[in-house]
Amino acid sequence: MSSFDVFDLPSLFQYQFLQMAMVGGILAAVVSAWIGLFLILRKESMLVDGVAHTAFGGVAIGLLIGIDPMLGAMAVSAAAVLGITYMRRKGLAQSDAAIAVMMAMGFSLGMIVISLANGFNVELFSYLFGSILTIDSTDLTVLIVLALVIIGFMVFFYKEMLAITFDEDGARLQGIPVQAMTMAFNLLVAVTIALSIKVIGIILVVALMVLPGLTALQLKRSFKITLIASTVFGVAAAVLGIVISVLFSVSTSGVIVFSAAGVFLFVAAYQRLA
Amino acid sequence: MKMEPIIEVKGLTVRRGSAEAISNSTFSIERGDYVGVVGPNGGGKTTLVLAMLGLLPKAEGSIRIMGQEIESFDQWEKVGYVSQFAINFDSQFPLTVKELVGLGRVNRRNMGRFRNKEDWAAVNEALQLMSISNLADKRIGMLSGGQRQRAFVAKSLVSKPELLVLDEPVTGFDPVTQEKFFMQLANLNQKKGITILIVSHDLAAVFCRMSRVLCVNREVHSSAINEGTVPDDVLKRGYGEHFHFAFHQHQCKGVFIDEQL
Repeated sequence: MSSFDVFDLPSLFQYQFLQMAMVGGILAAVVSAWIGLFLILRKESMLVDGVAHTAFGGVAIGLLIGIDPMLGAMAVSAAAVLGITYMRRKGLAQSDAAIAVMMAMGFSLGMIVISLANGFNVELFSYLFGSILTIDSTDLTVLIVLALVIIGFMVFFYKEMLAITFDEDGARLQGIPVQAMTMAFNLLVAVTIALSIKVIGIILVVALMVLPGLTALQLKRSFKITLIASTVFGVAAAVLGIVISVLFSVSTSGVIVFSAAGVFLFVAAYQRLA
Repeated sequence: MKMEPIIEVKGLTVRRGSAEAISNSTFSIERGDYVGVVGPNGGGKTTLVLAMLGLLPKAEGSIRIMGQEIESFDQWEKVGYVSQFAINFDSQFPLTVKELVGLGRVNRRNMGRFRNKEDWAAVNEALQLMSISNLADKRIGMLSGGQRQRAFVAKSLVSKPELLVLDEPVTGFDPVTQEKFFMQLANLNQKKGITILIVSHDLAAVFCRMSRVLCVNREVHSSAINEGTVPDDVLKRGYGEHFHFAFHQHQCKGVFIDEQL
């Protein structure tokens, strides 16, 4: 059942909630696509899923002590990324095992905090499944600031990150501070996850970060074009998801993921048939 | 006239786990040398190269590069390196040859700076030097083995290095491709004055083309190569007492193809 008429689409954008949702969705899509493409090429896509689930603990803590849950998610995600990096570097666990450990710990933390707060609440549910349409000006301000930090880093250190992603030893020999850059990038992964949670939710954040890059890689073009295409696919999925979910009163995050997956299937099929 | 050493190694010992991979070795490489690093499998050739580039820690001894101790050496843009695994990258990686070669310009001194005309001019020059300008916009995953190797050498040349280190760059090449590749390197050595160090199992190419050989089998034995002569004693210390490499200078003329590329 439709809550808005398709022909009312232009007038829909006069609503402030939709304007804020669009700005937030587009910014989250852009940074997710950029960070996600590098993660795919580093073969670390599952890091997103692990850290996102860990962020559940941060959201719960944020709600319990009365700070912005996004900041709580960011703090716990950053701790998880540092923990995973430490475990890998010290040989305590392989990458997948380290991610599994952190994911379990973060989610368990969330469950303990929920039980301490005496129950589950609607707001926590919204962080699990996303609620971009309920984003307020404070959320949007935090999201814009974080997105600008990530975009700034990726614009200025684009060539260094590409060099490290392609050949870490070669980059080290060229004098690039690989360890520091990798740490900074991993912290940005945590920030990206935290800001994307409001848009798409903990459960589905991996899709927003991985599907646009995966779709762009089907084009088999240069890195520059792949990065631009990844951004376009991510933004298209976010815009389509928001518009369709408003028109048909369905889950925004669900439609965003289905739009991104639909674009992926179309591009993959076209590339093989063309 | 005494030449200036570009690398000086004294009493070098490198351990891999508890075993000594390189043991108490001393040698030097002079500017303008064209050096072949030979030796049996597992003898420590790659370990030696990685230690000389600071990518593996040394247990004992000293390494000086361009007059500086390796611990304080900070001009890595003057050193080009292509690892033996360089061409085994993920062929789906979305990178064109031009983008790959451009990565060679990235270093600590220009971090956070956008690329400028000078960078792209250096990229184009490196592509020309390796005769791959026509491949500039091709994805690296689409290249043949020989083309990949030349693209990686171009990447290491783009920062205008004084020392170029290549670890087994011609493995799996057919003789013509290999010969073209060695001729391009000889050209870089003679016309650009770049010191080149190549790990190779092709002893004929080493003795025909190069000016010095390092034979590595835990210990490193160094010898100059004069007019294609074979330093038998050095090879025997590397490969064993019963090893004899039958080689005649005329083989060089017979093997090599037309010098015009």
